[in-house]
Amino acid sequence: MQTLNTLRWSTWLGWQVESNWADARLFILYLVVKPVCGSLMLVCMVYAASAGFPGRVPVEFLPYIYISNACYGLVGAVMFGMSNVVITDRENYRMLKYIFISPGHFQAYFVGRGLAKAMEGVVGAAITISVGLMIPAVRSGFQNQGIDVFWLLTFLLIGSVMLWAAGMILASAVLNMSRSGMFLSEGIAGVVYFLSGVVFPVSVLPGWMQAVGMSLPTTYWLEGMRRAIIGPPPAGSPLAESPLTAWSNGELAAMLLATTAGLVVVSQWFYRYSVKRAWKRGKIEETTGL
Amino acid sequence: MSLSLFARAVQARTYPRLVWMFRNRTWLLQETVLPVLGVAALAFMYSAMLPNDTERAKQLIGVVILGAAMTTFWMNILWSMGAHLYWERDGGNLELYIMSPAPMMSILMGMAIGGLATTVVRAVAILTAGVLLFDVPFAPTSWWLLALVFGLTMVALYGLGMMFASLFLMWGREAWHTVNLLQEPVYLISGMNFPLKVLGDLIGNALPAIALLLPLAAGIDAMRQVLFGTPGFLGVWSEIGILAVLGAVFVLLAVRCLNVLERKAKADGKLTVKWQ
Repeated sequence: MQTLNTLRWSTWLGWQVESNWADARLFILYLVVKPVCGSLMLVCMVYAASAGFPGRVPVEFLPYIYISNACYGLVGAVMFGMSNVVITDRENYRMLKYIFISPGHFQAYFVGRGLAKAMEGVVGAAITISVGLMIPAVRSGFQNQGIDVFWLLTFLLIGSVMLWAAGMILASAVLNMSRSGMFLSEGIAGVVYFLSGVVFPVSVLPGWMQAVGMSLPTTYWLEGMRRAIIGPPPAGSPLAESPLTAWSNGELAAMLLATTAGLVVVSQWFYRYSVKRAWKRGKIEETTGL
Repeated sequence: MSLSLFARAVQARTYPRLVWMFRNRTWLLQETVLPVLGVAALAFMYSAMLPNDTERAKQLIGVVILGAAMTTFWMNILWSMGAHLYWERDGGNLELYIMSPAPMMSILMGMAIGGLATTVVRAVAILTAGVLLFDVPFAPTSWWLLALVFGLTMVALYGLGMMFASLFLMWGREAWHTVNLLQEPVYLISGMNFPLKVLGDLIGNALPAIALLLPLAAGIDAMRQVLFGTPGFLGVWSEIGILAVLGAVFVLLAVRCLNVLERKAKADGKLTVKWQ
């Protein structure tokens, strides 16, 4: 019950921190502008590549990268967001120590704050995809099949656990680092962006990088989300050269589940080790400046 | 205002940033490897889109590389100048800066110069990766012209940055979110990852024309013309003229804004308000 209470209140707090700095209209603008501008950049890039030569870039490319980028926003929001909570609560608001000594459940506090970030990420992704439906070249990707709701919910559910576990690992690491530890989550986000096939199929990478990419749970998650929303790439397309093309949805989900389970085990062990270490070294109340 | 005081204040504010570089070496990884990862993703994206047209792909990868290198300066302005005043207020230093006889402009200039050290490293790392990893041909038509465009862009950008910094004297928590908000839209309208002409082709010339009022857009477009010989939105000399005017305007406005907003922040009691 205490854990649920902590979860409920920390989610509420996280949403307040994210939203009450501005009135509703400005906040909605903020939610819309950031992800949409990021996605429109990709649209412009595809246009630049195909400029003057219609058909030079396969038509399925734009929906692929557009949907991937929208889903990747959730990765950044949760993973980066949870580690950012440690820094802001410890360094800016100086209240992390009070959360620690309160009767509230410490890990549930981070989960709740992560949930608030996830809500923001989901809203951002939904807005981005909605705007994408207004772009004919993106909308064409939805016309091959409707959204597969079952697999979308399946991958969302497993992916949420995966992102939470990854976010917990990062937050636990940052607990024992100074403010500049934020580079770790930025770095991991950059690695994921590069190796998980967000804006290009992993088959484009050299062999050894493909192997690293195939070991990341986010690779399977993004592939699953893309398939659920716009379906698999057409046969003969360069996008179909990805090693994951031959995998069925069930196999993707099973691999995602297996890697997520491993990540959860690691995150729990690492969280306990990190909190104990931070507590012994006084890191929970330490302000590190710049 | 004494020039000696100005110079000493600049030196004093630059010093912590430079010393930090030697005391905390994680920035080496942060400012070299991580930016290259992000740029590499977009470079591979162009390669994947154009497997049979490597010439065009290289040209566009060059556009990405230069855009990424130049936007590091924009991020330095946002985070190391503007948002930094917000953090200084939280840390209790802002009121000390205001109370000191050193002008705020010298404090901001010190922040800018200190931040430039890591920013230049980041930009050089991105450019080096572009040449070594992606074989992007950097062959400017004139090195002097390139230096002129770069110099004018920096003056205009940092003048704009000082104007922003004065706004941060008035803002609370919205400062962080505003800085976040000023990243992606500026990247989009500046043509960070694609030629600025594309915006004109897609949605009409009004938006790129307005975008040229941003020193970043004009600077990137002009530098691409000099470096790669590709057509820009306007001619190089037109964009140089725009940059020169913007630089003068922003620096003058920065001086004015700093004085006005500092006075207003004092009157409204915003200088010492923390965690809002």
